Amino acid sequence: MMRFNDIKREAGFVFGHRQFKLTMLVVLLLSSISLWAGFAEMQEQQATIERLLEKDQVERDAVINHQSNYGMVAYYSFHLTYAPPTSLAFAAVGERDVFPWKHRIRMLALEGQIYESDTDNPELAFLGRFDFAFVTSVLLPLFIILLLYDLKAKEREARRFDLLNVTARNSHAIWTSRVIVTLVPLALAVLLPFVAFAVLNGAELVGIVKVCAIVIANIAMWSVIVLAIGAAKRFSQFSATHLASIMLGVWLMTTVVVPVTGHTIINALVDTPEGGDIVLIQREAVNGAWDKPVEETWSAFLKSHPQWTHYTEFDPKRDSSFNWKWYYAFQQVGDEKASELSQSYQASTLKKDEIASYIAWVSPSLLTQRLLSSAADTDVQAMVHYENSVRHFHASLRDFYYNRMFKAPAFSLESFEQLPQFTPQKLKDSQENTDEN
Amino acid sequence: MILRVANTICAEQWRYWLRTKVAATVLMLGAVLTLAALVVNAFHIEEAAHAREHLQHKAEERFKAQPDKHPHRMVHYGHYVFRAPTPLSVIEPGVDTYTGNAIFLEGHRQNSAMFAEQRQSAGLTRFSSLTPSFLALVLAPLFIILIGYGSVSREREAGTLTLLLSQGTSRSQLLLGKLLALAAASAVFLMPLLLACFYVAFSGESASLVALFSVSYAVYFLLWTVVVTACSALFEKSSASFTILIVIWMSACVLLPRLGSSVATNLAPSMGKLEADFKVEEKLRSLGDGHDVNDPAFKKLKQDLLAKYNVDSVDDLPVNFRGVVAQYSEQRQAEVLSEFAENRMQQELEQAHIARQFGWLSPTVAIRSISTVLAGTSLETHHRFLREAEALRLEFVQGLNKVHVEKLDYKLDMNRNASEEAADKAVVDASNWALLAEFKFEPEKSAVRISNANLYFLQLLFWVGITVLLLRIAVRRLNP
Repeated sequence: MMRFNDIKREAGFVFGHRQFKLTMLVVLLLSSISLWAGFAEMQEQQATIERLLEKDQVERDAVINHQSNYGMVAYYSFHLTYAPPTSLAFAAVGERDVFPWKHRIRMLALEGQIYESDTDNPELAFLGRFDFAFVTSVLLPLFIILLLYDLKAKEREARRFDLLNVTARNSHAIWTSRVIVTLVPLALAVLLPFVAFAVLNGAELVGIVKVCAIVIANIAMWSVIVLAIGAAKRFSQFSATHLASIMLGVWLMTTVVVPVTGHTIINALVDTPEGGDIVLIQREAVNGAWDKPVEETWSAFLKSHPQWTHYTEFDPKRDSSFNWKWYYAFQQVGDEKASELSQSYQASTLKKDEIASYIAWVSPSLLTQRLLSSAADTDVQAMVHYENSVRHFHASLRDFYYNRMFKAPAFSLESFEQLPQFTPQKLKDSQENTDEN
Repeated sequence: MILRVANTICAEQWRYWLRTKVAATVLMLGAVLTLAALVVNAFHIEEAAHAREHLQHKAEERFKAQPDKHPHRMVHYGHYVFRAPTPLSVIEPGVDTYTGNAIFLEGHRQNSAMFAEQRQSAGLTRFSSLTPSFLALVLAPLFIILIGYGSVSREREAGTLTLLLSQGTSRSQLLLGKLLALAAASAVFLMPLLLACFYVAFSGESASLVALFSVSYAVYFLLWTVVVTACSALFEKSSASFTILIVIWMSACVLLPRLGSSVATNLAPSMGKLEADFKVEEKLRSLGDGHDVNDPAFKKLKQDLLAKYNVDSVDDLPVNFRGVVAQYSEQRQAEVLSEFAENRMQQELEQAHIARQFGWLSPTVAIRSISTVLAGTSLETHHRFLREAEALRLEFVQGLNKVHVEKLDYKLDMNRNASEEAADKAVVDASNWALLAEFKFEPEKSAVRISNANLYFLQLLFWVGITVLLLRIAVRRLNP
């Protein structure tokens, strides 16, 4: 049994060390800096979205008022789509620096637009982000090792080990309480700044609790690893630093070797189509259509859009001087030709992510990182979800213009009140549950 | 005499390492990892080089194989360029996996590079990657620490240090011996890397540049062996030197590079491409739509041209006025686009420079900069790729516009939408597509890359100074 007195005595002992207090201060500082950096970056992203939204509206209104037929408006007006940072994104920037989180699209073939990326400075992405997820998944285990590796050995080397065991009412209690008074301040040093920033950023309670639980589980996991190595009979003759080397070896294996090996294996296992081929096929189809008989485009288009079968005829007087219907039809056909490849490209991204989620089970760091970015909606799933919402929006845009161009080509400004507007959607809860949690 | 004693101490240290399992395991692990990384990466780069060369070739062939067409259609048909990997990217892939390696070139637009490999990595390689440079710059120091943290303090703890010093071994002899031993151990990790460098030097990279590259890596390894040996000598207990060294490693190799990146993002936020696009559009709108000859922006152009050829209407011009307009507006557009693109690159470079200033705080950041700049996998070289792609874009688009001006009749051109037959007449011969130049990307000349890295050599030199100082303190303070 542990008693309050034991804990009090051990706390006094642990906090008596200058080194321990210094470590706590450093952890507190690192956690705060990482949170501030993520917070500032997400504020900037939010501000960027707001600026873009404003300009986007002005620009589109100008186009609509300037043009006099639907074909021209569809050609010249862009629509901003974006994935706003969630209220927890500051803690785990995740994939937001590699995947695009904003696109401006128009009614031309989508496959030519969706792979455009407006991502960050590649050199900074290469150096990596110093975010909270990094601090907890990569650095925190190292601190745990540093704090706990000589827990018993230190006493053994100071020849107090037997004395302590004999004088304590319960020899287990003394070590348990010492571990607790070491780890609880550590967890607090990491989590208190997080909670402060999360509240400041208006995060929901569920999310905050989730992140705290992940971090605490990570600390518990590493403590178990470290203590198990420290207590293993095999290593009982080893010096403290010798033990620490083994602990670092475990860190190295799980944090570095497992992910890179996993990466190599995944690349060998999952066949990814060349991204360039998607755009190439789409371009050939779209550009080739000009040289082909118009009927060829129509027959391909009508296969997927039979409702327009009787509306394909081109009348220069009614439809404006250029055959826009045909033009957008071959844009659609271009997308359809590339669609199989494009789908398998996305499927392979998801497949790789899925395999990575299994690999994460043997790497606590990877697991923590993945869970955190999943909680913050900055993981691959969320980014793919955004891509799909852009596809969805593009489809509704097509629907809007097809209805006008095919059915009622007389231009009216009022009809643009029904122009689809992009609204960002969060990953659905039902989907989130199927994630790796 | 000094050397002989040092050699004995070095040999003694090695005997100890080979006897204990930790050092031997670490050495093995390090060597295996480095070799694996080199092999995997070499295959990957080789494959990518072939694939991209092939794709480049195919793109050029397709362009030239297009049938007779309206020249402006070819402007929109566009072209692809691919960036071939540099020889040293076998060791330092740098920003390459983050940038995307293909750009689609077309009229009126500057597209960004597409399909960065990193998007396909499922987040597995965000902290670590199986690249020789990551192993050498981040993991090798940890291995050196694990092997060497106790090299002197162990002798002290065992009481043999007093013995050695009282037998007439000088402090500098002792430390030199320990240093030699650790340097030899770190050479186990360094050797495969140097061999790879040697190989690269024979595959088309400048020898002096490769030499500088490998010397920098060797210096970096030496820095760590000195720091580890000095700490081991300075601290009384092995556990203290171990803890301090791990903290140093954590800050230098893991923390500071990332901190630099985050500080740069927040200190000098860059305008995203989308946001810049709005500004570009605003400016472009004032230049007129190059597809529309009646745009008021081209009024002056028209008057000048009519005056030049002394005719009354564009129909009588000996050149195709639509082509003239296209040529003229493409040129002005390209100037605006380049202005903004240059701005953006400048901003990115400023951010990178802020992040690289952290080289004064961490030798790892310094050597990282040297490594990427020399290998031609830095931001600078990526920008060079973007500029060359843009130059090629403008060249072929304007070439096509020239064909439009000179080889396509204006009346046929204006009549092209009347019927399918009329459209078939408004074309030029496919032989004109041969104007597309071949694209073969090469990084900056080696002298340029070396001078780009000057500041980072200085940073490395600064660290050499610091460690020499540390070593002198260690020699002076070495007490049994």
